[in-house]
Amino acid sequence: MKTWVDLQTDSFLDANARQRAIGLVDEGSFTELAGPMDRLQSPHLPLLGEAVEFDDGIVTGVGLIAKRAVFIASQEGRFIGGAVGEVHGAKMVATLKLALDSYEKMKKDNPSLPDNRGPVAVISFETGGVRLHESNAGLLAHAEVVDQIQKCRGKVPVIAVIGSKVGCFGGMGFVAAQTDVSIMSPFGRLGLTGPEVIEQEMGKDEFDSSDRSLVYRTTGGKHKYILGDANYLVEDSIGSFRQKLSEVLSLSQDEINAHRRIGSLRLVENQLNKVRLSITLKPKDSKDVWKYAGNDNPESLVDLSTSDFLSVARRLKFMAANEEV
Amino acid sequence: MAKQLLKLNFEFKAEQPMPIKESLHYGVVGSGDMEVIIEKKDLAGKAKFQVVTPVVGYDQVWEKVLGRFIDESNLGNISVEINDNNATPEVVSIRLRQALAELAAMKA
Repeated sequence: MKTWVDLQTDSFLDANARQRAIGLVDEGSFTELAGPMDRLQSPHLPLLGEAVEFDDGIVTGVGLIAKRAVFIASQEGRFIGGAVGEVHGAKMVATLKLALDSYEKMKKDNPSLPDNRGPVAVISFETGGVRLHESNAGLLAHAEVVDQIQKCRGKVPVIAVIGSKVGCFGGMGFVAAQTDVSIMSPFGRLGLTGPEVIEQEMGKDEFDSSDRSLVYRTTGGKHKYILGDANYLVEDSIGSFRQKLSEVLSLSQDEINAHRRIGSLRLVENQLNKVRLSITLKPKDSKDVWKYAGNDNPESLVDLSTSDFLSVARRLKFMAANEEV
Repeated sequence: MAKQLLKLNFEFKAEQPMPIKESLHYGVVGSGDMEVIIEKKDLAGKAKFQVVTPVVGYDQVWEKVLGRFIDESNLGNISVEINDNNATPEVVSIRLRQALAELAAMKA
């Protein structure tokens, strides 16, 4: 049996959803809510003859980091690729709702609650998006998660951690973009349309999904860090993610807000300018963008260790009018 | 006929049934894998299994694999629920033994 101490040095990539949930918070503090013993399984999969899981592929609960309540939803990629069905989605929504409800209660009991002492919500993404077997319910769940994230804004920081095998794709790519802070490892992958789907739809000439290096430098953590889609890049261990989380938790609400990638006119302007850049720059590869961002030898970044990468990599600058962050 | 999930039920009784102290969940329903819940239940020494699987036609194999697990572990007064997704008999045996090891670790 893995202890919490083992988990800290374990690869985040290889960890299952429950190990991530347990290891991201302080030792022994994780309490699973709506766990496998509650048998909240998908009502749809049995009708299609598909295997079910007692927790519907998501581990939800609450733990502590430095005495601060951390509500966690952690997706299990090995169960139908972490796809979001009705129950799976409802558990994620309820996790965010619980965090917000406890914030409201704390604020009511203690109106002078400092803004970095309230609860936070963490989503450990490992998903391809909607579970097609439950398409409408799955899509609706995405919308409800987004709705909850909006309700949490300015109250409960919502933090995305991405570093698992399946990555974070499809509708959940949109959801991850709307969180306040995103933390990735170089093995984390983030995007809308996954590599296999691009190849299937557009052909191997457009995107060769068997080219691992291409896949990682297009969707992986290093690229997302340079682009600004990931706020932080950390080593591939549960402990590294936990360490970064605890640093983020010490920030004030204003500082948390400054991490957002979308959510204001200014931020959207920045994103649109990056889209415009892709038209003028006509990049053939992520490395063209890395070069534009000021990395004179982009090829060298590909194989750098995380710490070496962080010490030399230059990030794309903020592109809203006459402003830099 | 439309595909559907099968529910298989089995019952065994060890000669000298051993109780468990705590209930446990173990495993992930990946492709070719399974998960199990083992719960303490007063069943007059019997071990009851429910297997939920999309695979048709392996009832006898399940019976052999699960029966051997009880022969080896001597567990009794337990209710076992398995969610299976095409796990091979070897994988099933390994997962059940790992679950047992976890139970032992919990007691310690």
